[in-house]
Amino acid sequence: MQSDLEELRITQKELENLSGLDVNEVFVGGAWRPSIIRYPKRLLSFVMTEVFTFGLILIFCLPIGLIIARSFGGLTGDVSSTAQFLQTSFGASVASALLWNFYMWQKGKGMKILAHLLDEVDKHNEIIAAVDVIDELGSVKNSTISLIDRKEVLAALTATRESLVCALMTEKILRKHKRFIARRHELFNNIETNLAALQNLQVNNQADEYGQLLNEALEIGMSVHQEIRKFER
Amino acid sequence: MKYFAVLITLLRDRTLFLEEIRQGIKIESKIVSLLISSSIFFAIYGAIIGANSSLPQVISSAVKLPALYLITLIICLPTLFFFDILFGSTLAFNQYAALILTTVSVISVLLFSFAPVTLFFLVSIRDYEFFLLLNIAILALTGVIGVKLFYQGMQFVTEANYKTFKSREPLVKLDEAENPSEDFVSVKDAIPVEDKSQRMRTRLLQFWLFLYALVGSQLGWTLRPFFGAPGEPFQLFRSEIESNFYQQVIRIIFTVLGLQ
Repeated sequence: MQSDLEELRITQKELENLSGLDVNEVFVGGAWRPSIIRYPKRLLSFVMTEVFTFGLILIFCLPIGLIIARSFGGLTGDVSSTAQFLQTSFGASVASALLWNFYMWQKGKGMKILAHLLDEVDKHNEIIAAVDVIDELGSVKNSTISLIDRKEVLAALTATRESLVCALMTEKILRKHKRFIARRHELFNNIETNLAALQNLQVNNQADEYGQLLNEALEIGMSVHQEIRKFER
Repeated sequence: MKYFAVLITLLRDRTLFLEEIRQGIKIESKIVSLLISSSIFFAIYGAIIGANSSLPQVISSAVKLPALYLITLIICLPTLFFFDILFGSTLAFNQYAALILTTVSVISVLLFSFAPVTLFFLVSIRDYEFFLLLNIAILALTGVIGVKLFYQGMQFVTEANYKTFKSREPLVKLDEAENPSEDFVSVKDAIPVEDKSQRMRTRLLQFWLFLYALVGSQLGWTLRPFFGAPGEPFQLFRSEIESNFYQQVIRIIFTVLGLQ
């Protein structure tokens, strides 16, 4: 990847610094990311995490249940008492797993906006990856594939990046303090300016793959703008 | 699905990993990753030792072995945490949990590395007593290595914290020196007190490790059978509660040596 594109990418480390939370493909700040259902790879990670978590709960519930049941004489060693013990332990494990999922869901409710912004960051990084692929194809000898105006695409991506960074910073500040912050108007204005710049670029370039990339950048910008508007309400 | 990547980071660069724990970097994700990866390794080894008997024993041991290590950890962790903070530690509970989980994870990886050897003896020698003794030796060896690493890790983290404290101390005192109050304690006087509490924490750690071994072995005894006695039907637990782990080890050694 070329250095200018590399600089435009929003890395996981940067995301963690900006949001102040642990961020990965499946979790954000210890809660599920809603986007897991849209990507098969993430869905698989989610399912595996659920399986491992249930396994872990079983590992704790079964032996602790065994010790308790033995101490209180509820486990005599015959088949019926063993079956009853296993049923109770499994029931307790399933209940614990459901409780844990409910907790994750509740936790995730407070991070809807952040989760949406993270999805936009993913899209932004995907566009950069697409530009990189076009660059690579263009570098092949006798190739006709190339971005018509790479500079403008980079300008659009820079604006998108700035908007996303501003939005993530705003979300972090508001999430942490949840009270009026004087700087937020400045951040909102910055996002508005970037969006206007993106819309201007979009008007001038409607056709070709370059226009399509701009469209995607604009969509991200619009989405960020909408999320930020939710803060203002 | 980066649980194993966290474990690999721990194995490759333990110092960096411990430093991250000391600084409180990504503690929750470290705890979750280490819990999951160590449970899987323990479950695999547990299944192997249970394979000496029957399929239900395989499943039972695959649950019991991770439980043995993780429940011991849960039982002993509050003791370490509260005693340590009483003697001046600044680490949080989750940092202690992550620290001790590094030990449990290292033990699980070591056990997993012994799995082919255990499997080989399981297949080649159908001798219950020998298999039992071999596994006790492997569990003891991995436990000793794990505990040694934990001891070093705790020393590293508490000493690094102490150094940070020492380097910060004069700055605080300089401000106070302009307005010395009656209850002002000089830096010279302050450091030996910290040294003392550091020594106390080291002793406390040694006592805690003894307690950990004691709880672990007793819990192991309570959760048995892990191996399943030959010729006997599957048992989820042993009904008799008398005797203890150490008596049993001595009895097995005597049996193997033909003294009983």
